[in-house]
Amino acid sequence: MAIGVRRALRSDHVAGWAFAFPAVALIVVFGLVPIVWSAVLSFQKSNLLAPPEWVGLANYRAFTKDPFFKESMIHAAIYTALFVPLSVTLGLLVAVALNRRIRGIRWYRTAVFVPVVVSTIATAIVFLWVFDPHFGLANWLLGKVGLGPFGFFESPDGALYSVVAMTVWGWIGFDVIIFLAALQGIPPELVEAAEIDGARTWGIFRNVTLPLLGPVTLFLVVWSSINALHLFDEVFLATNGGPGTSTLVPVLYLYKLAFLQGIAGYAAAIAYVLFAAILVLTVVQLLIGKRMVHYAS
Amino acid sequence: MSQTPVLDALTRAGTGVPEPEPERVRHRFLFSPWHLVLIPVAVTMILPLVWMVVTSLQTLDETRHYPPTFWPSSLEFGNYSEVLTQAPFGRWFVNSLIVTVLVVLGNLLFCSLAGYAFARIRFFGREVVFVLLLITLMVPFQVIIIPEFLIVRSLGLIDSLGALILPNLAGAFGVFMLRQFFRTLPIELEEAARIDGCTRLGVLFKIVLPLSGPALATLAVITFLWTWNDFLWPLITIYSPEHMTLQLGLATFQGAHQTNTNLLMAANVMTVLPVLLLFLFAQRYFVRGIATSGLKG
Amino acid sequence: MADVELTRVTKRFPNGHVALDDLSLEVEDGEFLILVGPSGCGKTTALRLIAGLERCTTGSIRIGDRIVDDVSPRDRDIAMVFQNYALYPHMTVRRNLAFGLKQRHTPKPEIERRVREVSAILGLDELLTRRPAQLSGGQRQRVAMGRSLVREPAVFLLDEPLSNLDAKLRVQMRAELKRIHQRLGITTIYVTHDQVEAMTLGDRIVVMSAGCVQQIGRPQDVYRRPANLFVAGFIGSPAMNLLRGTASDGRITAGELVLDLAVGDREVAIGIRPESVVRDPAEGPAFDLDVEVVEPLGEQIVVHGTVAGTPVESGAEEETEIPLALEDRRAPVTAVLGPAAEPVPGDRVRLGIAPEKVHVFDLASGEAIG
Repeated sequence: MAIGVRRALRSDHVAGWAFAFPAVALIVVFGLVPIVWSAVLSFQKSNLLAPPEWVGLANYRAFTKDPFFKESMIHAAIYTALFVPLSVTLGLLVAVALNRRIRGIRWYRTAVFVPVVVSTIATAIVFLWVFDPHFGLANWLLGKVGLGPFGFFESPDGALYSVVAMTVWGWIGFDVIIFLAALQGIPPELVEAAEIDGARTWGIFRNVTLPLLGPVTLFLVVWSSINALHLFDEVFLATNGGPGTSTLVPVLYLYKLAFLQGIAGYAAAIAYVLFAAILVLTVVQLLIGKRMVHYAS
Repeated sequence: MSQTPVLDALTRAGTGVPEPEPERVRHRFLFSPWHLVLIPVAVTMILPLVWMVVTSLQTLDETRHYPPTFWPSSLEFGNYSEVLTQAPFGRWFVNSLIVTVLVVLGNLLFCSLAGYAFARIRFFGREVVFVLLLITLMVPFQVIIIPEFLIVRSLGLIDSLGALILPNLAGAFGVFMLRQFFRTLPIELEEAARIDGCTRLGVLFKIVLPLSGPALATLAVITFLWTWNDFLWPLITIYSPEHMTLQLGLATFQGAHQTNTNLLMAANVMTVLPVLLLFLFAQRYFVRGIATSGLKG
Repeated sequence: MADVELTRVTKRFPNGHVALDDLSLEVEDGEFLILVGPSGCGKTTALRLIAGLERCTTGSIRIGDRIVDDVSPRDRDIAMVFQNYALYPHMTVRRNLAFGLKQRHTPKPEIERRVREVSAILGLDELLTRRPAQLSGGQRQRVAMGRSLVREPAVFLLDEPLSNLDAKLRVQMRAELKRIHQRLGITTIYVTHDQVEAMTLGDRIVVMSAGCVQQIGRPQDVYRRPANLFVAGFIGSPAMNLLRGTASDGRITAGELVLDLAVGDREVAIGIRPESVVRDPAEGPAFDLDVEVVEPLGEQIVVHGTVAGTPVESGAEEETEIPLALEDRRAPVTAVLGPAAEPVPGDRVRLGIAPEKVHVFDLASGEAIG
């Protein structure tokens, strides 16, 4: 009897590993190994062709003296500080507007979701045209209300903000989808009870709806921040870091270093520094969030 | 009671099925003031895309017109055939399709197997391996691209579709998501099947997967969207035009035709259209997928 | 404090379902009125209409001296306890209690006073700083009631507030509710599907079915003189036994039973409450019960069996009842007997019934006769 049990258990181990093996193998080879290798690389000097040589902490010391690195991090900070509040707040407002039962609401919702599905490259190409300083739609519309004309992607001061506008357009639908689901998850009795208790529309929103959206809002802030610091595709295509280096962001810088200039070891170090920055930011956000957000049971 | 209340809420959000509202509001059904808010929002979201289509049908001179012309004097459908002769869009489309379909199928298969193992089978090292998988989820892409490039190169896959397919055949996200989902299914069903004589594999394919429709569809959609729109990885690993994916090809086309705005817009329309049509057709799954990719956090 | 009147209220939902059909009802000032009936009978809809959470399709509602058809819930001076309590999960108990008063800009000292008072009445003092998630079901229920009481409303509405509590707690809270009503005297309208709750709590009960009022009256009146078959079958536990009978020549014959009652010549249903039968009667109408199941309950024994006769359905039967496979011409009957000489399955017991305790209903219309 004991042998039978042992046999059965053994077959569970075999079965478990057999099932899990393909996925685990792929993830280990293409996910875990690179994580470790990247750390190793960061202590080396490599041009991706010749064998690498060890340089210890040289790469990590280098980035403190690298003006491009500093610039890219500042740009990342500015971009994130603008992108996250804008997309989350506007996302919430649009979700509230979309949480209605009026005629045609399906079309409004579809219209808001569509930009999320459009690829980053296609988005960048569209906005290169919309923001064209000479023939673009944006300057024409802004001119109608007495603003502009602006250089957008061609202006050293305005390029980063143009990227913000473009990416908010592209990603706000994501926030809207999540907020909308959360709004629809609020039990109607809570709203009814608040109504009976005497709250008006704004009172209900402030005292019932917003607090219950706390967890979701925190999640979106963390998620958007992480994605903001990973900005690459749109910048690559629209400005390639320019004009000059006014839109240089960390991942773009890293890409150029490793794959265009063959400075892979340093690039790996930068990748880890960026990762550390993201980690710290996330932890800070979660700590602040835990204090402010009350999770409903 | 639904097994997946959150997924259901997301589906409702995506399909625009309205939530019940206090009846008083219905008196404003014919003209709700919310339309005044929603119309500008919808227009802002759609206008760039509409203008993209309009521009794609203009002659080159018309695009140089300022103020911009909204109605092309002639519908230059020839732009589209011109694009197809200038660049192998058909080839790029097929490449993207092959890669995406294979990656989606691979994920569905391997992540189901692994997800089920982690959810239901007790095997040696299960907890440790699962934690390792979670770690890969937390580490961002830029940290691993350089070593992943080196690994793929050592496998001889550079500049082939294999480079795009193999590393992505199974992702930690899919494993995690399906594991969570499988755990919500009543285990009694599987136990009854095993008593009835089913093997573990049989239980997975005959009992569990048929009940997992929504989760599988969601994973398929997320994977599809992510793979189809992926840019950075193809940028690094592919350089000959005949192996490029649609996004990469489009980017090179943009580089070559920066001033041929009408052709560029036509190319963009062709790139955006397939995913857009798929989205309109299967909106609910897209919405679920997009939101679930966020809710894992 | 106010009285409430519904005048010819009909509620039709967009999908065509008619929840209330020409309902008219008067609730006296300070009364504890219960709306009772099976699920789907419209009782919750009626409550929500009074609260203002739904609008009447036709008809009108008056609270106090105001017609409130176009008045929103917050201005109707009502308070409501929901079946799932609907406590604000992110607020402490104290804030939950104070919320309504804050929204109406009640001065702070007044809020403090009321919260303290209500907390004392309901025993919430130690819970004030906790959140709903940390409370038990019974505690949450009391907080929900407290939130309503603190507003000192004119009308107090309760939607099956005890149905989520376990049996023992339910009995306790029933007594609580009665005590609070006696103390504060607020007009209360209470919805439940449990007829025991209805009978024990209400000053008057309204028995409803399929959107219509079946009977209104004091619990004892409804029990003793049900107006129709539905009420007869709904009120009373175990349910009233109903047998088919034929009335002619001043006599009613139902199976073995022969009653000297003149109700004209027609088909009738006779109703006998399980607790009104006597064992081995010396005289009077009697019948034999073939015992099938015996449920000893201490001072009482509930006996299920069959008698000669044809059963009648009241319309109040639970859908889950398994239809018994009966022999032809036999009807199921339940009797409640004293503890002496406990019968055994297979026994035949002789039961009698006093003629004045027999309920007679016209079979065609279901209405009570006499």
